Amino acid sequence: MNAAPILQLQAISKRFGTIQALDQVDFDLYEGEIHALVGENGAGKSTLMRILSGVYTEYEGEFLLDGKPVHLHSPHDALDLGIGMIHQELSVMPELSVAENLFLGRQLTTRWGTVDWKKMHNTAEQELERLGFSHLDVRQPLGNYSLGTQQVVEVLRTIISGARVIIMDEPTSALSPAEVERLIRLIDKLRESKRSIIYISHFLEEVMRVADRVTVLRDGQKVATLNAPETNVNNLISLILGREVNATLPPAISTSNGHTLMEVNHLTADVFKDISFTINQGEVLGIYGAIGAGHFDLARALFGMYRFDTGTITVDGHRFKPNHSARYAIRHGLAFATESRRKSLLMEEAIYRNVTLPHLNRIGSLTPTQSQELKVAAPAIHMVNVQPPDPLNPVGKLSGGNQQKVAIARWLTFPPKVLVMSEPTRGMDVGAKSEVLSLLRNFRNQGYGVLVVSSEPETILTVSDRVIVMSHGHIVAHMENKDLNKDVLMRLL
Amino acid sequence: MTTQTEKTPEIAASPSKPLISGVWMRRITALAPVWTLLALGIFFALTSQTFLRPVNLNNILSQISTLAIFATGMTFVLLTGEIDLSIAAVAALTGMISAYLFANLKVQEPIPLLVALGTGTLMGFLSGIASTRFRIPTFMSTLAMSLIAGGLTTYLSKGRTISQLPEVSVFLGSGRIGGSNGFRVLVIVAAVSLLVGYLVLKYTRFGRYVYMTGASKPAARLAGINTNVILTAVLTISGFFAGLAGVVSTGRLGSALPAAIPSFLIDTIGAVVLGGTSLNGGRGGMVQTLIGLLIYGTLRNGLDNIPSIDPLLKDVITGIVLFVALVINVLLAGRAPRDKTG
Repeated sequence: MNAAPILQLQAISKRFGTIQALDQVDFDLYEGEIHALVGENGAGKSTLMRILSGVYTEYEGEFLLDGKPVHLHSPHDALDLGIGMIHQELSVMPELSVAENLFLGRQLTTRWGTVDWKKMHNTAEQELERLGFSHLDVRQPLGNYSLGTQQVVEVLRTIISGARVIIMDEPTSALSPAEVERLIRLIDKLRESKRSIIYISHFLEEVMRVADRVTVLRDGQKVATLNAPETNVNNLISLILGREVNATLPPAISTSNGHTLMEVNHLTADVFKDISFTINQGEVLGIYGAIGAGHFDLARALFGMYRFDTGTITVDGHRFKPNHSARYAIRHGLAFATESRRKSLLMEEAIYRNVTLPHLNRIGSLTPTQSQELKVAAPAIHMVNVQPPDPLNPVGKLSGGNQQKVAIARWLTFPPKVLVMSEPTRGMDVGAKSEVLSLLRNFRNQGYGVLVVSSEPETILTVSDRVIVMSHGHIVAHMENKDLNKDVLMRLL
Repeated sequence: MTTQTEKTPEIAASPSKPLISGVWMRRITALAPVWTLLALGIFFALTSQTFLRPVNLNNILSQISTLAIFATGMTFVLLTGEIDLSIAAVAALTGMISAYLFANLKVQEPIPLLVALGTGTLMGFLSGIASTRFRIPTFMSTLAMSLIAGGLTTYLSKGRTISQLPEVSVFLGSGRIGGSNGFRVLVIVAAVSLLVGYLVLKYTRFGRYVYMTGASKPAARLAGINTNVILTAVLTISGFFAGLAGVVSTGRLGSALPAAIPSFLIDTIGAVVLGGTSLNGGRGGMVQTLIGLLIYGTLRNGLDNIPSIDPLLKDVITGIVLFVALVINVLLAGRAPRDKTG
């Protein structure tokens, strides 16, 4: 690594309005190097990568490639210069064959301009064999293979299209442990063939295994760049959070008192396995996991919106029939607000109609009138303090925080026994966040059960009485929220 | 030059304010179908001397009445974002069934009518079950149902027209209340259909579920609505109204034909969409459908009243006007959404 770096960023700064997303950040990458980038959500990782991949074209600072200054104008520019990005959400075509995916957008053609299938299949087979994936049939549709294999194909496509620098954004979050191993082997192969990789991940153990160097970002600033052998996970966590960490784990949960409202036993589907927990009366249970850990699909499964294979759900003594519907779940005391407000609310409809929609059958008559509905909805809308408070406004005109309040108000009219909320504070400012979280706490104080599912450690730690951590579809820890802090959650991922 | 000098001071006076405020612009665009109807009405009133005569206006009403019965059912289906392509064939079958039972099997009234309506309803229900239980798109399930209904019509009729009709059909299709110049029963049947549809959509829980299912299936499901039941129900409703339209149209024509009238399907969808009910679901309603029907009727009838137009070109002109009206509606409804991934 004595040669000059192939990629250098010098004093990069980027503002969004009043927010300084990046402040004088330096970053460099050598040939054949795996350089990991770590930091909390909002530390500036994605902003930096978007500058590198040509998405953000306005910034301050120097961008050098092979020692020469460049300025990218589009993601296409980045690809032309050999910088490829693998997004968390794959951009492969499951219906097309493996070979077609490998050559997507740049099919090999014969001299007549038609697709040269023979050459494409041969080249694809050679490339796969060289990189240790000779077991793939290039003629099979890619959709027949697992998610991990699809991701491998996307990485290979980036390489075949000539990328020297590959940016991987949370590549392992949705993979099974075996698939993670395979990806790490591929990364080692890429290092041998002199490709460079920028590796973004929440999983610090993994970062320590694959990376040559690690750069830590915090609040838009670079905190440190370290050689991987000279650091460890605890050191990284304290750099990410900016304080010393307590290395001991809090004690495991003891038996809880109070009446059990919800009991989940051995719930298993494709993306989560053997999930068991209970929620007591007047208790908030938080389930924390990185994106792709399976916790959001678990929440959907509880509400009958995601098919599970085995396991049982019991609410207040009533055992749910297998693969119940959402209607069934509501009738038996379960409420659910998804992580996507856009999916759960009807944006063009009035606030009060969004609130009463799940309860129209309880309002009584077959022909609910506006005044009947308002009588039911108005107190709930008032309780959550929606601004502006006019219940006739369409939901789409409200801010994100107020939309979330509507999603909660919906379940205050005819209170459920257990309220399940996925990502209750996503995309909200500090004020709205604390309002929503205190609403959830009120709900708990009135003796209901609350399940909060989130990938934001702050949210989980602020609102939960107990915390479950999920990773790759499994529960990896179950603790009381006493002396818990972010470093514990991060270490457990 | 002159237009420029006229415009400049206005713009200078209020640089930030457009001539028509956003609220008003939205009100005007929301009523686009009404403007279309007015424009067509004025155009034909000016170009034809016969168009505005009461007899002719009455004619328009009876011409769109059969269509209105079909359209009542179709509005329900389109509001959920689905489609029913079987209505014309189902109508042919139900018309034939009631005539066959009456003429060939001598079944007493009103059983032929009830069997016909039951058949239409059942066929809609079957399309709905096929679509929800086996996840066949309604485009395909109703297309298949259309073939089945068409085939049954041919089988039953052996290709022959039946002109001996039950009296109920004749009364509904071509009867009049209050003498030979009285009000057409057919218009009343159509009006009642539209009114019932309007009341159900506007005031009932079920109506709300129909709109919500069309606006966003995930949101409806998350609120505990069984969208499968709603989809099956709207197709069943569409089947019922197709059945009714079939019986009524035999009465209007004076015979049960051995084949479907394909224009029923196209005209129904055209009229409903022209009124402003979205093919994507969630937006529209019976009032819009009524206006769409009136536009359609005005156009078809108006062209007949201009003698200089070659009757053989009527379909071409109707098609072009339909096209232009739809384009204008889309343009007035505003630009494409900003987020192209949604």
